Amino acid sequence: MTADAPLLEVRDLAARFVARAETVEAVRGISFDIRPGEAVGFVGESGCGKSVTARAILRLAPEGSTVALSGSVRYRGQDLLALSERAIRAVRGRRIAMVFQDPMTSLNPVMTVGAQIEDMLREHTDLSRTAIRERAVELLDQVGIENARARVHDHPHQFSGGMRQRVLIAIAISCNPDLLIADEPTTALDVIVQAQILRLLLRLREQMGMSLMLITHDFGVVAGMVERVNVMYRGRIVETGEVDRVFAAPAHPYTRALLDAVPRLAIARGPA
Amino acid sequence: MATARTPRSGSPILRLVAVRLVWTAAILLGVSVVAFVLMRALPGDFAIAAAGAQFVQAEVLEAIRREFGLDQPVWVQYLRWLGEALQGDLGRSFVTRRPVTSEIGPRFVVTAQLTLIAALMALAIGGTTGLLSARLRGQTDWVVRLVNGLSLAVPNFVVATLIVLMAGLYFPFLNLFNYTPFLADPLANIGSLLLPALCLALAVSVTVSENTRAAVLEVSSQDFVMVARAKGLRPRRVLGSYLLRNALTPVITVTGLQVASLLGGSILIETIFAIPGMGQYLFDSITSRDYPVIQAIVLLAAAVVVFVNLLVDIAYARADARVRYE
Amino acid sequence: MSETRPEAFEAEAPAAAPRALRRRAGGWLVLGLGLAMLVTIVLVTTLAPLLAPFDPSATSMNSLDGPSARHWLGTDLIGRDVLSRLLWGGRTTLLITLVAVAIALAAGLVLGLLSGYLGGWVDQVVMRVLDVVFAFPVFLLAIAVVAALGPTVPNLIMTIAIVYTPAMARVVRGPVLSVKRWDHVEAARSVGMSEVRIVTRHVLPMVASPIVVETSLTLAQTIFTVTALSFLGLGPPPPDPNWGGMLAEARQFMELAPLTVLGPAAAIVFATLTFILIANGLREVLDVGSRR
Repeated sequence: MTADAPLLEVRDLAARFVARAETVEAVRGISFDIRPGEAVGFVGESGCGKSVTARAILRLAPEGSTVALSGSVRYRGQDLLALSERAIRAVRGRRIAMVFQDPMTSLNPVMTVGAQIEDMLREHTDLSRTAIRERAVELLDQVGIENARARVHDHPHQFSGGMRQRVLIAIAISCNPDLLIADEPTTALDVIVQAQILRLLLRLREQMGMSLMLITHDFGVVAGMVERVNVMYRGRIVETGEVDRVFAAPAHPYTRALLDAVPRLAIARGPA
Repeated sequence: MATARTPRSGSPILRLVAVRLVWTAAILLGVSVVAFVLMRALPGDFAIAAAGAQFVQAEVLEAIRREFGLDQPVWVQYLRWLGEALQGDLGRSFVTRRPVTSEIGPRFVVTAQLTLIAALMALAIGGTTGLLSARLRGQTDWVVRLVNGLSLAVPNFVVATLIVLMAGLYFPFLNLFNYTPFLADPLANIGSLLLPALCLALAVSVTVSENTRAAVLEVSSQDFVMVARAKGLRPRRVLGSYLLRNALTPVITVTGLQVASLLGGSILIETIFAIPGMGQYLFDSITSRDYPVIQAIVLLAAAVVVFVNLLVDIAYARADARVRYE
Repeated sequence: MSETRPEAFEAEAPAAAPRALRRRAGGWLVLGLGLAMLVTIVLVTTLAPLLAPFDPSATSMNSLDGPSARHWLGTDLIGRDVLSRLLWGGRTTLLITLVAVAIALAAGLVLGLLSGYLGGWVDQVVMRVLDVVFAFPVFLLAIAVVAALGPTVPNLIMTIAIVYTPAMARVVRGPVLSVKRWDHVEAARSVGMSEVRIVTRHVLPMVASPIVVETSLTLAQTIFTVTALSFLGLGPPPPDPNWGGMLAEARQFMELAPLTVLGPAAAIVFATLTFILIANGLREVLDVGSRR
């Protein structure tokens, strides 16, 4: 594989929710690439299909529902949609990791945060028990949690929302994934914490050289974080391009509407 | 329970335990009043009942009245009775003339054993069916709920009677009434309790099943389950560490709260399977109008229920605290 | 996530009945079945004097006969017709059940409404007393009370009414507590409507659904309690037939006449099932409790 070949190649992806007799189409005709080390933004209003697209990559359907997928999702040339359950599990977390929207409900309340990092490492690596424990401490430290050695033993309720999102990011990067999908990672947080989390993501991406798929409803978040952006509307990608170009000259009327909704300051700080 | 003495400590759990302990004591006091009144509300003369005969000499009645303090005001009688009860003296059986406490003791152990086995069975059956129902949905869900509804419609004494009937007809070599004391042969003892416990467990397992189903569905929709799957964990691990560990607390709580229903049912089951427990003793005592025994058993059963509820409450608060409190 | 990969899209998703509606239809079906069974029981037992082929107390020489053209369900130890005794026995069981639950419902309504609507110390006192009664296993309390008072029909009715009142009161109190703070209740009060009128016109209708469901569940439990009590010999006194007593009797001669057990057993199960179906049907139809 050459350096310029896409890491992820999505072609004509469609997802439909199947519930007994009814079928609801969530997204269709989705095609995009993510290159190694590249950060790509997905922007659109809630319900436009951003999250469905992200989860379709890892074939994660909400519990109790069935989602029919079509098209292709090629990761390093391999179609993820054609993999066995076992094979896709080896991709989840290990190659492509995810960070979700609400840190308050995304951690298992009855397990220590350390255990929640460790079970991921145990699943995907052959490290020894002590090595896994060390790595968990290291990861918490890496995402900026102070006194990490003591805090691995704490339960989620002992952490604030921003701290929990850091823990979830630590979990996501624990196996050095090629691609991190961040699905509205800052929406549930207050403004100052939002900025910290975004800076953390930016730093980790540079340190680890991983690709980033950043999903948000807020153009202000995308600015300064990604190189390219896809604008989604009603289950389709309506505009795609370099982030500077889209900011400067939005082609689609919906993109223009979204941009108008962003406070000026955020754009002024803009892509650095 | 020493924690009760430190209600001002910072921990909300200890405070809760202290409050619950005081509250439990109050309920037990109320329970004792009811048990006492029940006994004194007997139609006819308590002394005549105590004498156990229709024709009694007047002097004998007088003696009995003095012995039981019936010549004193009711509240004095109650306080005296309560004081004795607190020291473990629940009076003497009308029939055997032996202290009720020593009569009930060994029988209580048998009933406790039966109830415990039944509770575990209900947890196992109800937990499994509820989990299957919630995880597989569709037809399984439908079948489990149908079977649950039907088993609720068959009272435990009817199930027990039918089982005994079928065993007699088709497996005459099986001896169902082979209760063996625990100390004589522990394995045979547990073996002899399995079928009775199953009859007792059926109705409770329905409650457990419904609650397990609800709890698992509730936890399934939580974000952390999706996160666990996104981590690439194997399904068994997602189920065990994420789903079940979180669904367990409400299910255990519900099972604990069914102790009252298990104790009530044990009367019927013990009578049918000839198990020498508290229930059968109660049945015998009713037949022989042995009121002190009836009173003692009712009091004891209520005390057990109150105590188990207390334990469940504390356990729940503990589990909850780990999740929610600061 | 499923791994199906359909070749092409369907143009339009087919319109389907919403889930809630479909569930509700199932509820109506269950409820209808239960009601039909209830009508059957009520008809058959009230018409027992006409339907029963024999006098339920008339003995004969045919002791413990199996089913025959003459005695459809066989005879008992002293040659009484089992079918006739079942029909007549149903009258007593049903009478005790219905009257007792009606009393428990009335008492529970009064206590629950007082407690929930007035609140304050009334609520405290009522709820604390109910807590004490709740501590007793229902069946054990029933046994003790009946044993103390003596097993007559009025005593059975009273006992069962007593043991089921606390649960009723709790079911009433909960929703009343929340309903009384709703706007339309406040509005009624602000225009000077009397408290009694507010309760009957505005509060009661709002809490009716859970009460109706609880009542039908209590009916099922009461069938259990009545038959279980008479199974233990604490039922209506002989020679009046009753299901629990018949089952207990038949049990003693099970080896000689196994089939005599089935009649009373089936009757008890049928009656219990009736009320459970009604309760479950009502729960779905009235959408009580968040069952998914």
